[in-house]
Amino acid sequence: MGKTTTSAAFASGLALRGFKTAVIDFDVGLRNLDLIMGCERRVVYDFVNVINGEARLNQALIKDKHCENLFVLPASQTRDKEALTEEGVEAVIRELEHMGFDYVVCDSPAGIERGAIMALTFADEAIVTTNPEVSSVRDSDRILGILQSKSRRAAEGREPVKEHLLLTRYSPKRVDDGEMLSYKDVQELLRVPLIGVIPESESVLHASNQGTPAIHLKGTDVSEAYTDVVSRFLGEDRPLRFVNYDKPGLIKRLFGGK
Amino acid sequence: MSVAPAPATRPIEFRNATLDSTIAVLRVADAPALADALHKMLGGMPDFFNGEATVLDFAELADPPQRIDWPGLLSLLKRFRLQPIGVRNLTPPLAETARQAGLALLDAAELSEPPPESARPAPAVAEAEAPPTPAPAAARVEPAPAQVDTLFVDRPLRSGQQVYARGGDIVLLAGMSNGAEVIADGSIHCYGPLRGRAIAGAQGNASARIVTTNFGPEIVSIAGVYKTFEQGIAESLAGKAAHVRMVMNGTEQKLGIESLALD
Repeated sequence: MGKTTTSAAFASGLALRGFKTAVIDFDVGLRNLDLIMGCERRVVYDFVNVINGEARLNQALIKDKHCENLFVLPASQTRDKEALTEEGVEAVIRELEHMGFDYVVCDSPAGIERGAIMALTFADEAIVTTNPEVSSVRDSDRILGILQSKSRRAAEGREPVKEHLLLTRYSPKRVDDGEMLSYKDVQELLRVPLIGVIPESESVLHASNQGTPAIHLKGTDVSEAYTDVVSRFLGEDRPLRFVNYDKPGLIKRLFGGK
Repeated sequence: MSVAPAPATRPIEFRNATLDSTIAVLRVADAPALADALHKMLGGMPDFFNGEATVLDFAELADPPQRIDWPGLLSLLKRFRLQPIGVRNLTPPLAETARQAGLALLDAAELSEPPPESARPAPAVAEAEAPPTPAPAAARVEPAPAQVDTLFVDRPLRSGQQVYARGGDIVLLAGMSNGAEVIADGSIHCYGPLRGRAIAGAQGNASARIVTTNFGPEIVSIAGVYKTFEQGIAESLAGKAAHVRMVMNGTEQKLGIESLALD
């Protein structure tokens, strides 16, 4: 659905803006973030090692190869997901805060099991990624409900977690043809402020195969769309792009321009 | 793969709890007759109940039979997703057979039913994450305070969430999504889209209504009379302001849905 791709791009975007950022993979057993960030060969210790006290946090943090102030905390490929304890996760996040990190991005696994719950428990803000299709929207609705009941903020009766909606794999042409929900439909169904729309693109595939977060592919729609998302997250006003489909004109069709 | 040793905790622990249960007043104890009646009442919705703990009350049994076919009766109720946990108001010989069938005898237990109108207990909000496990102990409803407030829900009610306004009305200020469920003993007022299951008059109040500014539910029900929308919602109502109430059609009760003029 684009959660890990988004986590990698978003965390990189924050780091590019000068914020000291950590990105944590909560998908224990199916880790992917390190692949997308291109640091899979440098994983020595992981999140679960830190929680179990087998490694110190700064031994496990991997410095990103593209950004100066971005660090990756990979998930364990071999452990059981029950290894993520609430106390352990809290301790790690508190320590990151202590180390002067401005943002901690928690990459949630799919579903509503332990990893996902742990990823959202300590959230201040949440970016819910969804695809423009009915089943994906329904799942996002469910996770939004859990966010508002299971998060620490909800449990302590504080200000609720701030929600953002991010649509990924959006194809204006298919929306135009009636094959896909439009971003307006999705927003109407979920009633959460839209933080961005990421167009469907092959460059995402290239990026993840190369281990480069999509935001670094200068000049592509995807990179620009993620840059907009980061700006909106930081409170800047950016018009929505890549949501309209322009029918190719006659000349373009004749000459097949791309 | 390593397996961590289980922490040394007590294997069993006892806690005090009260359990909300449904009381099924059986006027006949004959499984086929009950099957017919349940089928008529619930029609296309065999999962109307959600494994709710149920106490079978035989006080109004018209013609007490010599014996009751417990396995047949229990499997019938389970088929309709009711979880019988005990019986009351049975004659001693029948009560003994019920006990042998694994049901608790709850004659002595304090079962307080909320009176239809006057005293109402406080509203309760529940997350549908963990269905309540039926406890074999006595089901007891807390004594009712004199008045209940309307329950206000400020945030959207999401898929998988459930809210119950016990004894009173509920106001949804941010609408609800498909897959959510709102239940009120009184009326349901929804400012925003009403999209999931809306059950008003849950304790039998037929004058309860469901009012919304954006009509699009999966199911509406008032006092046990329900309506599904398998064929979709009429275009004149879908997405529009509407209210649902009980209307009499001769002697038959049915739900009437009318659009509302908002300006």
